[in-house]
Amino acid sequence: MLTLTWLRGLLARRAGRLSITAIGVALAVGLLATLGSFLSASKAQMTDRALKSVSVDWQVETQPGADPQAVLTSLESTPGIKAAVPVGYGDTKSFETTTGATVQTTGAGVIVGYAGDYRSVFPNQIRDLAGATTGVLLFQQTAANLHAAPGDQVTVTMAGLPPVTIKIDGVIDLPEIDAMFQKVGAPPQSQRSAPPDNVILVPLDQWHRLFDPLAINHPELVSTQVHVDLVTSLPHDPAAAYSKIVGDAHNLELKLTGQVLVGNNLGAKLAKARSDSLYAQILFLFLGTPGAVLAGMLTVTVAASGADRRRREQALLRTRGANSRQLLSLGLSEAIAVGVAGSILGLGLALLVGRAAFGTAGFGATNAAAVTWAAFAVGAGLTIAAFAIAVPAWRDARDISVVAARQTIGRRREPRWQRLWIDVILICASLLVFWLTGRNGYKLVLAVEGVTTISVNYWAFLAPALMWLGVGMFTSRIASFVLRRGRRPLAWLIKPMSAGLSDTVAASMSRQRRLIARGVTLVALTAGFAVSTSVFNSTYQQQAEVDAVLSNGADVTVIESPGASIPPNVITELSAIQGVRKVSPLMHRFAYVGNDLQDIYGVNPTTIVSDAKLQDSYFQGGSATSLMTKLAHRPDAALFSFETVKDFQLAPGDTVTLRLQSGTTKQYVQVPFTYTGVVKKFPSAPSDSFVIGNADYIAKMTGIDHVGTYLIATAHGDSTAVAGRVQTAVGTNALVNDVASKRRKIGSSLTSVEMAGLTKVELGFALTLAAAAAGLVLWLGLNERRRTFATAAALGAKRRQLGGFVWSEAIYVTVGGLVTGAAGGWVLTNILVKILTGVFDPPPTTLAVPWAYLALVAAVTVAAVVIAASSAIRSTRRPAVQLLRDI
Amino acid sequence: MSNSSTDLLVRCDRVARTYGSGPSAVVAVHDATCQVHPGDRIALMGPSGSGKTTLLHLIAGLDDPTVGSISWPALGDRHSLRPGPLAIVFQSPSLLPPLDVVENVALPMLLLGTDRKTATNAAHEALARLDLDDLSSKLPEELSGGQAQRVAIARVLAGRPRLILADEPTGQLDHATGIRVIDVLIEAADELGAALIINTHDPLVANRLPQRWDMANGRLTILGGAKIC
Ligand SMILES: Nc1ncnc2c1ncn2[C@@H]1O[C@H](COP(=O)(O)OP(=O)(O)O)[C@@H](O)[C@H]1O
Ligand SMILES: [Mg+2]
Repeated sequence: MLTLTWLRGLLARRAGRLSITAIGVALAVGLLATLGSFLSASKAQMTDRALKSVSVDWQVETQPGADPQAVLTSLESTPGIKAAVPVGYGDTKSFETTTGATVQTTGAGVIVGYAGDYRSVFPNQIRDLAGATTGVLLFQQTAANLHAAPGDQVTVTMAGLPPVTIKIDGVIDLPEIDAMFQKVGAPPQSQRSAPPDNVILVPLDQWHRLFDPLAINHPELVSTQVHVDLVTSLPHDPAAAYSKIVGDAHNLELKLTGQVLVGNNLGAKLAKARSDSLYAQILFLFLGTPGAVLAGMLTVTVAASGADRRRREQALLRTRGANSRQLLSLGLSEAIAVGVAGSILGLGLALLVGRAAFGTAGFGATNAAAVTWAAFAVGAGLTIAAFAIAVPAWRDARDISVVAARQTIGRRREPRWQRLWIDVILICASLLVFWLTGRNGYKLVLAVEGVTTISVNYWAFLAPALMWLGVGMFTSRIASFVLRRGRRPLAWLIKPMSAGLSDTVAASMSRQRRLIARGVTLVALTAGFAVSTSVFNSTYQQQAEVDAVLSNGADVTVIESPGASIPPNVITELSAIQGVRKVSPLMHRFAYVGNDLQDIYGVNPTTIVSDAKLQDSYFQGGSATSLMTKLAHRPDAALFSFETVKDFQLAPGDTVTLRLQSGTTKQYVQVPFTYTGVVKKFPSAPSDSFVIGNADYIAKMTGIDHVGTYLIATAHGDSTAVAGRVQTAVGTNALVNDVASKRRKIGSSLTSVEMAGLTKVELGFALTLAAAAAGLVLWLGLNERRRTFATAAALGAKRRQLGGFVWSEAIYVTVGGLVTGAAGGWVLTNILVKILTGVFDPPPTTLAVPWAYLALVAAVTVAAVVIAASSAIRSTRRPAVQLLRDI
Repeated sequence: MSNSSTDLLVRCDRVARTYGSGPSAVVAVHDATCQVHPGDRIALMGPSGSGKTTLLHLIAGLDDPTVGSISWPALGDRHSLRPGPLAIVFQSPSLLPPLDVVENVALPMLLLGTDRKTATNAAHEALARLDLDDLSSKLPEELSGGQAQRVAIARVLAGRPRLILADEPTGQLDHATGIRVIDVLIEAADELGAALIINTHDPLVANRLPQRWDMANGRLTILGGAKIC
């Protein structure tokens, strides 16, 4: 009863403060719930993308001795399998073609037999490039090697059998070639380093005619698989989906004991998605937790500014006979009321944000996720309310007469943590943990293929957490140290705005250093949060862009189709297209490195770094610029991949002779190169071995300056539109790709998950926090001293003189907070980016700083401070006579 | 006694002050006419809620009358009263918490534009006059109520005003301390040759002053008394 009356009274008289506290709780709850719903939504998105990116879910290989037909039948009747299509694999010794007088022969190859419905069940396995879409289909790279086109004859040689000649009906590409030719059942590290170069697809019955005879004497050269399309009703969480799909595969292997091995393509994708989703979770944790904690701190600070009044009320209640327990339960019910109200508001906020972001789907990907995150967020909200209201009330109730608690100015010694240097110890500990995690190569997520559990190195969290704490406390130390010891320089600094009272203002500020240092710290922490969040997000965005550019080569790439050749004036033609800023040629050929056919790229070393946005992380043993400078100085210089360097035991300066096709004779000719460095990645290059050389040198040595690939930089954003216009211009002569579509396609990788919404929420939140911290804390601090200002005004202080007190403090808090916050945020961002290296692909060379956003944060903070300060000054315009009457 | 208008410190002419409006309006001061001359020692008596504080604030120029007019012929216009020729001792603690005792005492002079050194010296002098030198470097929160009120009087003294207003300066003090504070206040006024008005509902305090104004329900009655001419 008392409680209800009390609450009603509170609502009537302290509505402002209570609602500010509730809003603080709401912000924290809203942030956490929004992060939660974004997290579960993006996890679901990752699972979905993994599902969509896999074309054949399982490749079930029949083991020697098992009956392929029986396996097929058994698979067809297995629940959960939507379609099962048989596929044959047969190894050959060589393929051969004759064009005019020359004969082209390849090394070993594979002939794949595909059933009639294969292409309709797995539409993404085979991509038509030329000729018919059924019958005998020749792999594009093989077609290039053999100079073969639809209609040509290819002679196939198989072990111990007479050669067979087949007619090519079409040329195709195999986008999933790695999975298609995997060693089923082998762990990833013992997979072939590269898929076969020479592949022909034939209808299954024709394949049987070719390879059934071979199987009699050479069963090891022939194998059959069943490619499986699964009914995919998987859990939304990649980890759960992974467990389920791996379990299903094991069950199948158990059921057909010894007869089959399952190549789990979907499982492999989900494994990647699983660790990506864990990274996402970590990301949300790293970036979200400080935000929620800051919102909590701000709320507690706001609530604390009402402590004086609450103490007075308690004293009053006590004189009316209330005991400690009643007082405590009053505080508790106030906290619960505020906590619950704030939580409801916060969940509503999250719901609105979620609705705006995901349309009608709303809040969380699944009901369970939504409930879990909501409960978690509300828990946090109630905790904040408890810290803001109930804990101080409890402390007051215990010893209401503590005079010291009233002494807000005082000559109290500096707090114990300052005397013990706890802040510095925390920062050192953070750096130590950081160094220790660095020694392990910042491995945050440990995911072992085939193992369903995945572990996170939560120790790494310690580094940024300790740093946040340390930076906050250190800021407070510095802020109060300057006020305590630097009174003279401070007085000198504030002279311009203190209207002749600079010494008095400095003395006053010095004595109120606790209050002012608290303000500086909060502004610093919120500014630091804004800096670290925004820099991290932009760097992340930058790297996602780099990743897409890396796999695409440029904003837009034009790659010649096999057999087609682009006319030489194409550069002028392409440059004229609307939206094209720059066209740079990138020579693409093939070269034999020993017996290994590799891609070789001829570059113009003086322009390629900027044309192809080369990153230092693509190379080893030097930056992009330094290695390209070396290339520019030496025509025959070449960069090789690490495997090649290892295989051939290369040392810098060694001569490596490659074989490239001559433009005139079409024969392979020997071209000497000098090994100058290691290349790991290159735009549009394959993920395995390749070579980088000088375009001019390659053109000279092969007698042909044919280019093959063009990198296009677009003038502004929309690369897809530009790509469309380019495609129209080049027609069927070339494949045109663009960054935006590429980015949409890149598997389930973290970078492709739509982070834009989340980023907006985070940045908006950081902005709100920064403004609220600066404005609210300053205003509350000044408001608490209304009486002091009213007294000064009654003594005759002019508005300008009062302004001196207010502005000096406001500027100290703002400038001090923003400067230390920027510094602290910078340190934290560097730690975060290093620790979360695994999130970035490729790792960033430089941080991207969103200056516009940071300027906005600074501007909003300053605006909030100006509003707070001038409203405080305005309220003293007429001496608050009423205040002077108060006890 | 000189009747020239420039010798008149305050003139209130049918002054009224109403709080609020409509049926809930409170007339705190009702049609008050009064004058304050140099050397006046006035006890403004009346029960709690009778309008004493309101009248004092009007005289101090802290508040505007709703009806009537107030002028300060010998003191200047309203905006130059404080800091300067008029000083107030408040009922509740009125020292600025973040400033120490000397700084508090020196503040009105600093507000007037006096240089720091002169102001500080004057402050020390005023504190010494009231035997408060040993408190100079203390903070307001380290003072007792009586000490704080005496420091507030030192602050008034240091500003050398011509009219001192005190609003129940002993209201929060025990009796003995209160009497001491009143004596200090009267001594200070004597020393400065300033006029003094003290609000009080305590007859013992009022008895220490020769003149008496009575306040009841917002109505002011000038009882006169032994005027010092
Ligand atoms: N701001 C205000 N609003 C409404 N009424 C007020 C206000 N201030 C004072 N009063 C009323 O005016 C009357 C006179 O108050 P006051 O001057 O403080 O008397 P005193 O100082 O004699 O106790 C009282 O009835 C009081 O309630
Ligand atoms: Mg009063």
